[in-house]
Formats: sequence, structure tokens, C-alpha cells
Amino acid sequence: MKIKAKLKGDIVKVKALAKHDMTTYNQAEKKTGDRNNANFITHISASINGKVVFDASTSQFLSKNPIFKFQFKAAGVKKGDKLEMTWVDKKGNTKTDAGKIK
Amino acid sequence: MLRRNFLKVGALAAASAVVVPQLSATDFRATKPDTWTAHTVDDAIKALYGAITPIESGVTVGAPKVASNGGAIPVNVTSDIDAKTVAVFQDANPEAAVIVFEMNEGGIINYDIKMKMGASGTITVIVEGKDGKFYVGKKTLEVALGGCEG
Repeated sequence: MKIKAKLKGDIVKVKALAKHDMTTYNQAEKKTGDRNNANFITHISASINGKVVFDASTSQFLSKNPIFKFQFKAAGVKKGDKLEMTWVDKKGNTKTDAGKIK
Repeated sequence: MLRRNFLKVGALAAASAVVVPQLSATDFRATKPDTWTAHTVDDAIKALYGAITPIESGVTVGAPKVASNGGAIPVNVTSDIDAKTVAVFQDANPEAAVIVFEMNEGGIINYDIKMKMGASGTITVIVEGKDGKFYVGKKTLEVALGGCEG
């Protein structure tokens, strides 16, 4: 996952790119003949200093390698703090990455 | 029979809770499974929020009028409403639900995502306010090249 986070004034702006094929049911059926081979990110969240700041349940209709841009109020967050993001996909794989606030 | 099913469901829920411990508050795929299999926007909204009559104001949905690539349509959602959840639906794909955001303390509704649409259609965004009211914003767009089958 690529994570870019910027502190500007009292707002943190984050841009994250998750590497994932995001195979839909139709795509899986076409390629492998089995709808159950679909695989996509089902949940993604971000936390900083132990506080959740972003949280989303997702479906197969996000693009391949989906991009998420979001903002939150800094409330005590400093430059150099680590933003941790984790996703889970339909098959149970998870990935966690961190990005420093700039 | 009923009791047996109940136990099974309970065990499954417990198992998934163990696999993803620090992942958030609500996993809407687990708590509202029907939302994600519903074929129409109305059914998906009903499955997620129940029978609601959203107010058409306060939610802005940004997307290109004509999307050249249906595989990655940039969509922006903004709102000043003090909200609990924000849900994005569309009516061009086999199922309607795209993403459900859960708002946290200090959260700002200004999300950019990229989504797939198989044909031209309408994106519907529902914002569930903390005041118990629901707000809706819509955007209709044309998709030149569908992005769902490929």
C-alpha cells in the first residue's frame, strides 16, 4: 500500500493506494468459470496513535488498485506520527502498511 | 433446526472476529449482509438502513459527466453533515452497494474513491446524520466504456 499523509493547518489529508486486483464476480466467472473466485477488499481502515480515523466496508465495484482519499481533524496529531492502514479481502488476506505524516 | 443454525452463525461471527481484531467498529459486510447482494439501489438502502425517506440536500457527489474508462471512475463525496455513516450506491452494476464509510471522531466527509461502472447510471450517496435523519445526493453520468466485465 502506498500511503501519503500531509498535515496542513489542523487537518490531515491522506491519499492511499491499495494494490489489489478487485476481481468482481462476473470477472471471476469469465476468467475461471467460477464466481466464487472473486476476490476484493472488503474492509479498509486507518488509525493513528491508536485512534481509528477512517473506516470503510467495501464491495467489488471499487477500481483495480483502488485509491482512497480522506481527511480528518488533526487533534493532536504531529508531523512524524505514523498512520497505519489495514485492509482485509474476501479470501481473508490482510495487509498493513504505515506512512509518516508529513 | 433453528437453534442449530443460530449456533453456526454465532460460531462464524466469533471466528471472523478473531481473525480481524483491531479492524474497526462495524464491518457492514458482516452486520448487513443483504446490502451487498441487493440488486437495486432501493433494496440495498432498505437492507442497510431500513425504510427511510432521505432528504435531498446537503450531500455533494462529484464525478465526470462522461467517464471514458468505466473501470476507474473518480468519485468525490462531500458534506458538512454531522454523520454516522456514508454509503455509496450505483445502479449500473449487478449489485448496488459500493462502499460504506463509518465516521469517526474528527472525521470529515470529503472522500475520493475510484469505482467501476459497467454502463451509464446514477450514483446515489446516503448520509446518515447523527440527528437520525437521512440525506441523499445523486449524480448521473455517462460511461463510454464499461468497466465491470473486462
